[in-house]
Amino acid sequence: MAESVFRRFSQQITLIGAVVLFVLPLLGIPPTTYLTLTLAGLAMGMLLFLVASGVSIIFGLMDVLNFAHGSLFAWGAYVGFTVFSLLMPWVEADSLALNLAVFLVAMVTAMITVALLGILLERVIVRRVYGNHLFQILITFGATIVLVELIRVFWGPNDEVMRVPLTFRGNWDILDVIVYRYRVICIIIGLLVYGGLLLILKKTKLGTIVRAGVEDRDMVQAMGHNIYLLFTGVFAVGAALAALGGLAMSLFSLQVYPDMGGTYLLFAFIVVIIGGLGSVTGSLVGALIVGLTYNYVAYLVPWAAAGVNILIMIIILLIRPTGLFPAGE
Amino acid sequence: MAEPTPVHLFHMSEKRRQFKSSGFFLKMAVLLLFILVPFLFPSFKTVDLAMQIVMFAALVASFDILLGYTGILSFGHGMFFGIGAYCVAFLIGKYGSPSYGNLILGFLLAAAVSAVLALLISLLTLRVKAIFFAMITLAIAELAIVLATKLSGLTGGEDGISLFTPGIFSPAFNLGEFMGIDINGRVVTYYFILFSCLALFLIMLRFTKSPLGRVLQAIRDNVQRAEALGYNTFLYQSISITFGCVVAGLVGALYALWVGYVNPESSLSVMTIMLDVLLMVIIGGMGTLYGGLIGAAFLKITQTYLPDLQHLAKDLFPQAEFLHNIMERWLLLFGVLFILVVIFFPKGVIGSIREYGARRKSRGLNKTA
Amino acid sequence: MSEAILAVSGVHTFIGQHHILQGISFEARADAVTVLLGRNGAGKSTTLKTTIGLLPAARGKIVYRGKEIQDCKPYEIAREGIGFIPEHMGIFAGLTVEENMRVAMLSEDADTHRRLERTLDMFADLRKFWRAKAGILSGGQKQMLSIARAIVNKTSLLLIDEPSKGLAPIIVDVLIDAINQIKERSVVILVEQNFYMASSVGDYFFILDDGMVVHSGEMPALIQDEALQSRYLGISKIS
Repeated sequence: MAESVFRRFSQQITLIGAVVLFVLPLLGIPPTTYLTLTLAGLAMGMLLFLVASGVSIIFGLMDVLNFAHGSLFAWGAYVGFTVFSLLMPWVEADSLALNLAVFLVAMVTAMITVALLGILLERVIVRRVYGNHLFQILITFGATIVLVELIRVFWGPNDEVMRVPLTFRGNWDILDVIVYRYRVICIIIGLLVYGGLLLILKKTKLGTIVRAGVEDRDMVQAMGHNIYLLFTGVFAVGAALAALGGLAMSLFSLQVYPDMGGTYLLFAFIVVIIGGLGSVTGSLVGALIVGLTYNYVAYLVPWAAAGVNILIMIIILLIRPTGLFPAGE
Repeated sequence: MAEPTPVHLFHMSEKRRQFKSSGFFLKMAVLLLFILVPFLFPSFKTVDLAMQIVMFAALVASFDILLGYTGILSFGHGMFFGIGAYCVAFLIGKYGSPSYGNLILGFLLAAAVSAVLALLISLLTLRVKAIFFAMITLAIAELAIVLATKLSGLTGGEDGISLFTPGIFSPAFNLGEFMGIDINGRVVTYYFILFSCLALFLIMLRFTKSPLGRVLQAIRDNVQRAEALGYNTFLYQSISITFGCVVAGLVGALYALWVGYVNPESSLSVMTIMLDVLLMVIIGGMGTLYGGLIGAAFLKITQTYLPDLQHLAKDLFPQAEFLHNIMERWLLLFGVLFILVVIFFPKGVIGSIREYGARRKSRGLNKTA
Repeated sequence: MSEAILAVSGVHTFIGQHHILQGISFEARADAVTVLLGRNGAGKSTTLKTTIGLLPAARGKIVYRGKEIQDCKPYEIAREGIGFIPEHMGIFAGLTVEENMRVAMLSEDADTHRRLERTLDMFADLRKFWRAKAGILSGGQKQMLSIARAIVNKTSLLLIDEPSKGLAPIIVDVLIDAINQIKERSVVILVEQNFYMASSVGDYFFILDDGMVVHSGEMPALIQDEALQSRYLGISKIS
């Protein structure tokens, strides 16, 4: 009974929930701090979106829950770390052009390397277990162990410090609100990726076929499209996004460590459960919710920060078991 | 006395056959081996190894109830194990005196907390989609670790809690010498845990052979059909999950009793406990219960003697730097092994043996026919 | 007698543990509409799905225009010129009518666009709802979209699974007209429970039971043979 009430008013409840989420923290946080936290939350949300969107599209199209996504994220961070180490003079140069260049080189290298890794993973491992959720989870979990251990073999087991390009460091002070430059960059990257994904999915033929495949794989095949090629492609794109997320996150948290994927994979799972598996917009909304609440709560009640997202996830599951934006709606 | 029916006779002959089969003797021999371990190999290392194998065999079997018999993958099984361990640690370590009453209370608490939490999680997730179970249990397990670490006032944080075992379980207890070894608290604890795990294992075996267990397998094989037959799949799956998690909690409680301390790293960690449990169940064979013992024995023995292997590798091939790196990263090898087993050997050791036996049997039947 | 465009011989198909097709054999002539009839569960839909490759044939041969296709992937078979319209129409509900058609169009050349125009002339409703989500269409419109998607490419064989299911009689008449137009350009194999529809468009029939063909012949003969109808199709005249 309570459930049907929830279902009927789910839209309104979600709206009220959103308002509460954004406004309630103001009661306990001074306005300028609130704005700084909001920016931090948005930046973190955008980075989570990069990881979660890959998980979400891969699940939507291929019906594969990729537990190895977190390790691809870590690989992206480490490849980026290597590029930064090799081009350290560019990182430390007081020149926006050189800083941007090193960031772009690192980004492209990380995305291509990890996309290739993703293709390998899909072709060699994941392809053998299509249609069997249990084995998919097991096998991608196994792949995670291998990929994380390989990081330890290649880069060593210790944490490494990630240096942010010089002109990306520091902050602007706008009307007493502290605006960190790198956070703004993160928000811009997230928006660009979101816009790009939407453009591809809605405006190109390939994107339309992917969306059709999310709804009905068999029918797309019966219409003459090579679904397996599509799977590999989508897996590679998801992996590349994870790599971008990993690189951006390592600059956000100023470090790389072999197990970093695990933590963010969890965040990604929470995000896609909140947002709805298979929806890019759902991933964005879910990621922003998680990013914002995490930052507000970490300021107000530090020890509860890890739990509050799980709490939100549970509430969403009770109200809308398929998430806020189910695929195909 | 009434004439036995043919069905009755068949059951009786089956039972007799059961006690005569080579499998039965093998099981008895294994049990005997574990009973004799403190006498045959009294060193601390081997007794501890045997105990770890026994406890993990029971833990893996309880995980198999979920994975192999219900078709549900939980990353929270280690958490239930840890909850059981912490419950005992709270009652005879941090908040209670070491008495038998508190110990029993600790076990009851372990079972109760596990049951309530497992029920809540299944109510929450099974409604949605079975694969959510893996994601949500992983999230909740990580949360448990964070809470156990951060709420250090309550849980002792990273350092954990040391236990004080009561009476006959305490290290100070000594019954004197028997057949050349001291019957001390540690030996008593060994047998207590061995027989507790045996009891848990038999209960699980009974559970899977019961009508309930058969319904669960029907659900695992085909949810739609089971639903069409009128079974409340949700209810059955919840019961099974709760049962498996309660056993995990109890094994965790026994574990705490054996190692004498709990901390987040050793009792809750997804990466250490869950990884071991998954490897064990895959290697031994899903849906077999006995597979847990094989998997646990293989993994625990390998892990225990791994440092020796590493030394051996260094002595034999002092130049092979790469080999040393790989040996340092033994987890890498386990990961590869894990993937290979899932791909090429998905039934595990026990499952494959059973399949081979069934094939031979059917071939024999064909020959006689 | 003209050559068979599709020859299915001795095909076995399993779905999970269930042995659905148990050695089915039939031929579809290139100049006629073939109808597969039979009770629920006789294996009609499974036959079509096996032909298009969505279900693997465990044994047997499927020869399409002289080429064995039983081991091909569905997309390879589709690209050979076989269109498939599944039982529940397989509409992409979240995509617009336009996007549904775009996914279906395997090439963007002038021929395809000409076929698109002709198809839209045939089903005027699709043009009306061109930019609407396909999910909001009525059952009949969805069926039209499903057929339109299949004939927008150069198809020489169309597999249609129960197009009349759940549609109003007046819509069924529209579909009969459409199929009668389509059969001028492409061979049609139709699975149908609705005997009125089957008899209105079909030339040849095969009756399936328990995964095998139990009877076949020319449609007019079946229309006369009420005993056969009631035995296999459960049709009996109310007197």
